[in-house]
Amino acid sequence: MHEKIMVATMGEYMDEIMKYTLDIIQERKTEVIGIYVVETSTPFLTPKKVKEMMATELRDQGEEILESMRQEFQSSKHYMINFKKLLREGDPAEEIVKAAEEEGVDLIILGTGKDIIDKRLLGSVSEKVVHSAPCNIMLIKTI
Amino acid sequence: MLEIIALVGLLIISLIIVIKSADVFVDNLVEIGGALGISQIILGVTASAIGTSLPEFGSAVIASLSGSTELGVGTVIGSNIWNIAGILGISAVVAGSIRTGSEGLTRDWLMTLGTGLILLFFMLFGDITWTAAVVMIAAYCFYLWLLIKAQKKHSDEDGQEKEKESQNIDETPEKLEKNSEKTINKKSIAFVIVGFVGLVIGCRLMVYSGVELASIAGIPAMIMGLFTLAIGTSIPELVVTLSSAMKGLHDLSIGTVLGSNTFNILIGIGVPALFMSVPVERLSLTFDAPVMIFVTILLFVLVRKSNMKLNRVGGIILLATYIVYAFLRIFVLT
Repeated sequence: MHEKIMVATMGEYMDEIMKYTLDIIQERKTEVIGIYVVETSTPFLTPKKVKEMMATELRDQGEEILESMRQEFQSSKHYMINFKKLLREGDPAEEIVKAAEEEGVDLIILGTGKDIIDKRLLGSVSEKVVHSAPCNIMLIKTI
Repeated sequence: MLEIIALVGLLIISLIIVIKSADVFVDNLVEIGGALGISQIILGVTASAIGTSLPEFGSAVIASLSGSTELGVGTVIGSNIWNIAGILGISAVVAGSIRTGSEGLTRDWLMTLGTGLILLFFMLFGDITWTAAVVMIAAYCFYLWLLIKAQKKHSDEDGQEKEKESQNIDETPEKLEKNSEKTINKKSIAFVIVGFVGLVIGCRLMVYSGVELASIAGIPAMIMGLFTLAIGTSIPELVVTLSSAMKGLHDLSIGTVLGSNTFNILIGIGVPALFMSVPVERLSLTFDAPVMIFVTILLFVLVRKSNMKLNRVGGIILLATYIVYAFLRIFVLT
């Protein structure tokens, strides 16, 4: 059914997201793209060196997360999966949508992530993606 | 009225000049340091340790040199209380929680607490003199050494891991070394000078507008330092702490605040005290400094009680503590 799936994560609730992704893939040959977006925006008056330090830390964190995804998706149990890592920089929601368009995926999987207070205070990536995604979306209820 | 509006405008503009100049100064100083062959680890640690605290330091030095020592001490102590109770409080409330590792927390927190106790100890003798200044600056050098040692260990472990993980990395250590060899850029020197001049002029304007505003409004200079300048000069800490907490870079979040508090006292009071005795107000000794130590301990208790993280409830407790402190200091104890 789904040939190309994009799994977006910021590192939290990875187990739940992976579990549901594997459930829908089952025994089919599928391409899975793991995406992590380094959010580079910082408020006005953030020192330049600190900005660079934050971007480096987030890039390292993203690489680690994608690598642990690769290990899980490409373990001997899931030999049918063709896994690809994608590390991008910018606004998370915008980049996820853009990457989904470029890669021509037919499903985006991501977690709902936050409770009501967090959503009010921090905004929600998944809500933004829902409004502009070029394909179907599967939201995993993580809270 | 017009005068007050003009002074508030001047205060805001000078604050932006100070913060941007500090950024340009540190940034280009690091470039020059790199070209001179100083280790990137030492430069990185020093830049992040002093980068956000230069505004407090600059205003404390300029205030002391222009005869408003009270304003300088007020800015430093006020910044330290605001950094923990205000900035960490706001960040924990907005981001939901700020996690921290026990090693980093223990080292940075112990140093912050020790620094507060050192200050309180010297305050007991009256004015803070050059003897105290030497002890404070030596203590800061020791802290920088601890930070550099920890960063070196971290980088070594990272390097080994990366070497193990990938064998197809193009850049060999020799190549990396070659890449890091640079010549001193004239532009960097010019920007260091521009940054320094901007810092001095900005701080002078800020202190001037602070003192003038205080005298027009009939507010003591100490209160002006403790709240207006303290909160203003801590804007870099606020943006760094809040945005790193929201991005999940928790160590950077708490580390910025604790590192900044250590710097503010040991260097922000230590360096001015080298040149002239820094007078101690009675209320600073009996109320402000103890509150600063109290919020430091409160932070540790809140973090330890919630499994090494500062959660939203902890953030609210810290913010409430700040509001109570500000109310007592402005309306009851003046």
